[in-house]
Amino acid sequence: MEKHQPENDKNGYLSDTFWRTPQRAVPGRPCQRVQENEVMSGSSYQQFQASVNDAWDLGDDEIISGIAETRISKAISQTAALNVINSHRNSTKNVDISDVKGDTDKVKSQKEVISVRKNESKKTGAGSGMGGAGQMRHYPGRPRPVRLSALTSREESNESKIERFQQLLENIVLDLNELKQLSWSGIPIKVRAVTWRLLAGYLPANAERRSETLERKRADYKHLVRQYYDAERDDDTYRQIHIDIPRMSPLVALFQQKTVQVMFERILYIWAIRHPASGYVQGINDLVTPFFMVFLQEAAPTQELDSFPLDVLSETQRDIIEADSFWCLSKFLDSIQDNYIFAQLGIQYKVNQLKELIKRIDKPLHEHLQTHGVDYLQFSFRWMNNLLTREIPLACTIRLWDTYLAESDGFATFQLYVCAAFLLHWRERLLLERDFQGLMILLQNVPTQNWTDSNISMLVAEAYKLKFAFADAPNHLQSGKGDR
Amino acid sequence: MGTREDEYDYLFKVVLIGDSGVGKSSLLSRFTRNEFNLESKSTIGVEFATRSIEVDGKTIKAQIWDTAGQERYRAITSAYYRGAVGALLVYDIAKHLSYENVERWLRELRDHADQNILIMLVGNKSDLRHLRSISTEDAKAFAEKNGLSFIETSALDSTNVEPAFQNILTEIYRIVSQKQMREPPSGDVIRPDAEPADARPSQADTVRRQCCQ
Repeated sequence: MEKHQPENDKNGYLSDTFWRTPQRAVPGRPCQRVQENEVMSGSSYQQFQASVNDAWDLGDDEIISGIAETRISKAISQTAALNVINSHRNSTKNVDISDVKGDTDKVKSQKEVISVRKNESKKTGAGSGMGGAGQMRHYPGRPRPVRLSALTSREESNESKIERFQQLLENIVLDLNELKQLSWSGIPIKVRAVTWRLLAGYLPANAERRSETLERKRADYKHLVRQYYDAERDDDTYRQIHIDIPRMSPLVALFQQKTVQVMFERILYIWAIRHPASGYVQGINDLVTPFFMVFLQEAAPTQELDSFPLDVLSETQRDIIEADSFWCLSKFLDSIQDNYIFAQLGIQYKVNQLKELIKRIDKPLHEHLQTHGVDYLQFSFRWMNNLLTREIPLACTIRLWDTYLAESDGFATFQLYVCAAFLLHWRERLLLERDFQGLMILLQNVPTQNWTDSNISMLVAEAYKLKFAFADAPNHLQSGKGDR
Repeated sequence: MGTREDEYDYLFKVVLIGDSGVGKSSLLSRFTRNEFNLESKSTIGVEFATRSIEVDGKTIKAQIWDTAGQERYRAITSAYYRGAVGALLVYDIAKHLSYENVERWLRELRDHADQNILIMLVGNKSDLRHLRSISTEDAKAFAEKNGLSFIETSALDSTNVEPAFQNILTEIYRIVSQKQMREPPSGDVIRPDAEPADARPSQADTVRRQCCQ
C-alpha cells in the first residue's frame, strides 16, 4: 500500500479506506450533515468522522466551504487537520460544567452522535463540549455537552478512538507526533501498553525494527540483572528498596506477592545503581507501578488485577513485564532526574515556581496560605517527588501518564502546571480552612478517592491552559524563565 | 471554625526522626488517630498531624512533624527542625543499624535544631521480643549519657505510645512554664503559626513565642 501512496501520507490506511468508499456523497462535505435523529452508520463515515471531527470547531463555515469547492490533497488536509487540532486544543480548554449538566437530556436523544463526540471531548482533554445544542443541529461533528459520568465508561464509547490508534500504529513508519496528539487526551486500554512503549521512546517508530529492538532490550535487561542484582549488591541501596517495596500498597494483594516484590526490587535496584547521581530515592518505587500495571494488563487483559496471582503467567511473560517496566521507567525518569539528586534541587526549583505561579494567578489563595504559615514545600514536595501518585487513585495516575508521556518536550515542565491546577482545584475548600492545621491536613489528604478519568482530563486541560499562558512568558513567571 | 480543636493554651512543635522503617509514622498515627497499619507507606518529605492533651488543666496542642527517614531527604527535612521544641528520636529495637545511627541523628539535631530542644530516645517495636537486638539497659545508659529521656514503645500493640508523647509534652510544658515564671512575658503577642484572631487563647499565648519558632 505504501508503495503507491504519496510518502507524506502518514495516515495511508485510514484515508485509503475512507476516500475510496464513497457510499454516500463525499464525506466531510456540507451535504453530509445529518439531521438530529438520523442514524449514522457505516464504518467509512465513522472513520472519517473520527479522523476529522476536531475540524468542526474552528471556523466551520470556511472549512466546510473550502472542502466543498476544492479537491485538496490528503497531505494538505492532514496538515490542516493537525493545525486545527492544535489551535482547537489551545483555545477550548475552558470547561463549563453547568452547561454540561444542563444539556444531558438532549444528549440522550442523540446517542449515535455522542459516541463520536465523547471521543472529541477527550481529544480536547476537557471532558465537555463547547458548542450549544443549537449549533449542534447544523453541524453533526461539533463537540457538544456530554455527561461527565459517561466519559468514564471508556471502552464502549471509545471504538472510534481505538480505531484511530490502531490505524496509526499499523503504519510502517509511525508518526510519533500524531500519536502524541492522539494520546494526550487519554489512551484506550486496548492499545495503551504498545503506545506507552512508543511514547516513552522504548519502541522505535519504525515498525520493522520493533521486534528486534524489544528482543535485544529484554535480553539486555536480563544481562543487567545478572550483572548487578545477582552479584554483590550495594547494601544501603538494596536495604532501602527492600524496606520500601512491601509497604507500597499494603492492602492490594497483587503487591503482596513475593514474585511481584522481587520484580520491583530488581527494577529499582538496577535503575539506582545505573544512576549514581540520584540513586534510589523513596517515592521512585511508586513510579514503577503504573508501568507494571499497564504491562500486566496487556499480559492478562481480562483479569481482575488487584488480586491477580502473578505465577499464573509464564516466566517469559513476567520477564517481559519486568524488562519493559524497567526500560520505560528509565526513559520516563530521564527528564526529571534532577528531582532526585542531592538536595533534590529539581523539586526545590519547581516548588518555587509553583509558588510564583500561584502568586500570579490566584493571589487570594496564595495570601491565604501565606497568612496561615503554610509553606509550599510542606505540601507540594510530595506532589512533585511522587508525581501525584500519592494523591490520586492508581487508575487516574495511569490516565495522567497518558498525557505526561504524550508531552512532546518531556513532562517536567508540564508537571508543574498540573500541580498548580491541582492546587487550584481545591481553592474553595482551602479558603474555608481557617488555620494552619486545617490547611495542612486538607492538603495532605485531598479527597480524590472517587476521581475518575474525567477528573484527570479536566486537570490536564486546566494545566495546559496555565502552561500556555505562562510557560513561555518569563514576565508572567519571574523566577521561572528556564522551564526545563 | 471555632471548634474546640482550635482552643489551646500552648502549641508545641515536635519532630519525629530516625532511620527509615523504624515506625515513626506508625507512632504518629497511633498517637493522633489511634490507628495502626502493619505496613504504612514510606513518608515522602514531611507529613503533619496534630493532637491536643491536657496537662495541669492546660490544653497543650502538639503539632507533630513526621519526617522521611531516607538520607536523601535530609536537606528537605532538616528545614523542619527549626522551631521544634521536642524531638522523638526513634530506632527499631530489632534493627541494630537503626540504633547505631542514633548518633548521626543527634548530630543532625545539633546542626539544625534549636539548642534547647528536648530529645526523647524511643525504642520502637517492643512487641518484637524474640527479635530484639538492643537491650533496654544499653539504650537507657546511652540516653542518660547523652542527656536524653528514654522509653520503649510498640505502635502495634499501643504499649507506651501515649506516655511517650505525654512525657515529652509535659516536660516541655514544665520548662516553659517555669521559664515564664522567671521571665514574665513582655511585648506583643506574636502568633508564630498565624492562627486566626478568634482562635483564642489569651496570655498563655506569649509563652509560645519563647518555645515555638
